[in-house]
Amino acid sequence: MTVQEESAAAPGGTGQPLVRLTGVQKHYGNLHVLKDIELDVARGEVVVVIGPSGAGKSTLCRAINRLETIDEGDIFLDGQPLPQEGKALARLRADVGMVFQSFNLFAHKTVLENVTLGPIKVRKKSKAEADKRGKELLDRVGVGHQAGKYPAQLSGGQQQRVAIARALAMDPKVMLFDEPTSALDPEMIKEVLDVMVDLAERGMTMIVVTHEMGFARTAANRVVFMADGAIVETADPETFFTNPESDRAKDFLGKILKH
Amino acid sequence: MDVVWEHREAIALAFAYTVLLFLIAGVGSTILGTLLAGMRVGPIPVLRWAGAGYVTLVRNTPLVIVIIFFRYAAPKIDLKFNFIDVVIPTGAGDIRLNNIFAACTVGLTMYTAAFVCEALRSGINAVPLGQAEAARAVGMPFGGVMRHVVLPQAFRASIPPLANVQIALIKNTTVAGALGVAEAFVRMRGLINIDATARIPIFIAFAAIFVVLVEIISFAAHRLERRVRVA
Amino acid sequence: MRRMKLGMTAVAVLLAGSLVACGEAGEDDDGGGGTGVEGAEPLTVEAESDCDGKFEEGSRMAELAEAGEIAIGNRVDQPGLGQQDTPDSVPEGFDIDMAKLLIADLCIDPESDAVNWTEAVSEQREQFLEDGTVDLVAASYSITDERRELVGQAGPYLLTGQQVLVPIDSEVESIADLEGEEVCAAEGSTSLENIELEGAVGVPAATYGQCAEDVVNGTVPAMSTDGSILRGLAQQYEGEVKVVGPEFSEERIGIGYSPDAPEMCEWINGVITEAYDSGDWEQAFQYHLGTEDEDAPEPPALDECQA
Ligand SMILES: Nc1ncnc2c1ncn2[C@@H]1O[C@H](COP(=O)(O)OP(=O)(O)O)[C@@H](O)[C@H]1O
Ligand SMILES: [Mg+2]
Repeated sequence: MTVQEESAAAPGGTGQPLVRLTGVQKHYGNLHVLKDIELDVARGEVVVVIGPSGAGKSTLCRAINRLETIDEGDIFLDGQPLPQEGKALARLRADVGMVFQSFNLFAHKTVLENVTLGPIKVRKKSKAEADKRGKELLDRVGVGHQAGKYPAQLSGGQQQRVAIARALAMDPKVMLFDEPTSALDPEMIKEVLDVMVDLAERGMTMIVVTHEMGFARTAANRVVFMADGAIVETADPETFFTNPESDRAKDFLGKILKH
Repeated sequence: MDVVWEHREAIALAFAYTVLLFLIAGVGSTILGTLLAGMRVGPIPVLRWAGAGYVTLVRNTPLVIVIIFFRYAAPKIDLKFNFIDVVIPTGAGDIRLNNIFAACTVGLTMYTAAFVCEALRSGINAVPLGQAEAARAVGMPFGGVMRHVVLPQAFRASIPPLANVQIALIKNTTVAGALGVAEAFVRMRGLINIDATARIPIFIAFAAIFVVLVEIISFAAHRLERRVRVA
Repeated sequence: MRRMKLGMTAVAVLLAGSLVACGEAGEDDDGGGGTGVEGAEPLTVEAESDCDGKFEEGSRMAELAEAGEIAIGNRVDQPGLGQQDTPDSVPEGFDIDMAKLLIADLCIDPESDAVNWTEAVSEQREQFLEDGTVDLVAASYSITDERRELVGQAGPYLLTGQQVLVPIDSEVESIADLEGEEVCAAEGSTSLENIELEGAVGVPAATYGQCAEDVVNGTVPAMSTDGSILRGLAQQYEGEVKVVGPEFSEERIGIGYSPDAPEMCEWINGVITEAYDSGDWEQAFQYHLGTEDEDAPEPPALDECQA
């Protein structure tokens, strides 16, 4: 493993990057969805990924915890290459929290069970221990009083906060968010973003696909702009939003700022 | 009706065979069918093909042929069930779970499992993809994803088709009658042979008991469906 | 390796299917030898030529002779009594010869298409006579009081008793040795009831061919039904099975006719008596059921027709 020496130059922090993608390529048939992706994310860094629909942002997230396979290139987590299928891969996924656009809470489990299932079955914690930690996390995201309910009985914002608690319960090294607020009614967006900002302040390493500029400006260390499967531009949030370099980014910002 | 009453013990014994065939093949086919469904939706291509091959082969073969295979062909290639010999004494005579009963049960189980697999698979397909993804994302291996997240939800969606499979099974147990198990249908034909004047009451009595058995299964399925729907 | 096993399995399935479906065929192609005494001559039955005015006007016999067609309910899986290899062939056996004598007496050619041979398994026989599916039943049809309440039964033209068929190396000597053991017989048959009355455990099968398979495979230690049927099977599985024990039941085999045509009884009795006197009965018996060691028995006395 020569990764550790190379990673000295990781941006946005010191030491080896927590997440490293090098030369990542992916195709869906003829469609080239990830084009030669190079990305390092340092420990404690918050990276916002932004870009037009179909740019490959979700595919990028899903490749990082290997919900999607890649055709070429390497992805390293904490210096280790992503394993192939099997137990090792499952172990790796346990270290990467993922929050989906559509929440994907386990429909047949209560809110508390959603949060404790992973710790009990994967981390082999005792039920009492998992329950205690689960309740703490639910309190922290503000849905502690809903612990006994089923997901369908919760609002979208509450469900998404449960989903964040579920990911946190695994004590992940990094959290991936794929448009966590896009499916929410406007009045619920803030309650979810507040939880995410709080997380960022506590030093969680985060890769967040979002179009919420407010969040990017307050919480992000870096903005990565993707279009047509490639990373077009990387900058700090202030620079990116006020003075983007590429025409694609200018064009894109022009469109979303009009609304 | 006298014939029916006169032979009530033999009839009770015959229905005991029917119910035992049903229960053992019911449990067996549920287990085997679940494994097959797991193979068919799982990540390993060889197992996927094997599962699909099994279902295609068994589902397209008439039940009689499947049972005949275990009853008459299997012994010729030395696949025998002679080691099975359980005698359950009852007030109405012994219930004998012997090599013949075993061969018929295995045939019924393997046949029914193909249908259980497909009923479950339809249930699995009804579970949104995001459920399995979220489970994988918390680090569950394939088995855990299936056991803790997908199958519990799939079972719920599969209860109506699974109930149909089990109802078909209890009626299919009559095929074992022509192949060596003295179950209800055989006893009915025997009684008609003894006294053909009473064949209509005999027929009605047996049909009525079958209807009751099928209704019990339907009722159980209905209750189960309502209980899991709350969740 | 796995593929080979699968292939073998598939072959075995086909094999078992064909065995069970047809009983074991063969045997009858070696120059027409019967299941009885070796070298015995088969009975040839020729149709009477003149039926004008032979039967009383309005009788069922007159109607059948007039129509020139008849349907017979027969067994297809009982070598010696009634066996039929394909549905459109003319069946063979002692029951069948008795039916042929009756058919011929109506001026119908028993070997022709004018005869509709219909398989009648045990519990269908009354139904078939009542609803007119068949005109006569000649299908190892035991005469019983219950059946006579529903349909007509003339005869008996044959007395048989139930014996036991076991593997050639078996130590079983009679049904008494099989108490508590599995013994196979056709489902819905009197044989199956008798087995249970003797204290054995009845194993039902769709056909006697299946029972014989079970005995040969060692799935059951024995099967039991009329000795005549067992001897036919013993010939098919020569060297593998044997018939043992005394007869432990008496079956009186007769011809079934429609309850709406009581006039047929006297006619049937007449034709059978004629066969007794002419030697046709003995010839048919020897050809299908006879054994080298014994002479043909005396033909049984016929029951009187109820008025
Ligand atoms: N499973 C798939 N099969 C085929 N094409 C896909 C699949 N998933 C995504 N795509 C395509 O890949 C491209 C990138 O998708 P995605 O990563 O979801 O983009 P984004 O999240 O940036 O909107 C899109 O053109 C999309 O249609
Ligand atoms: Mg997306």
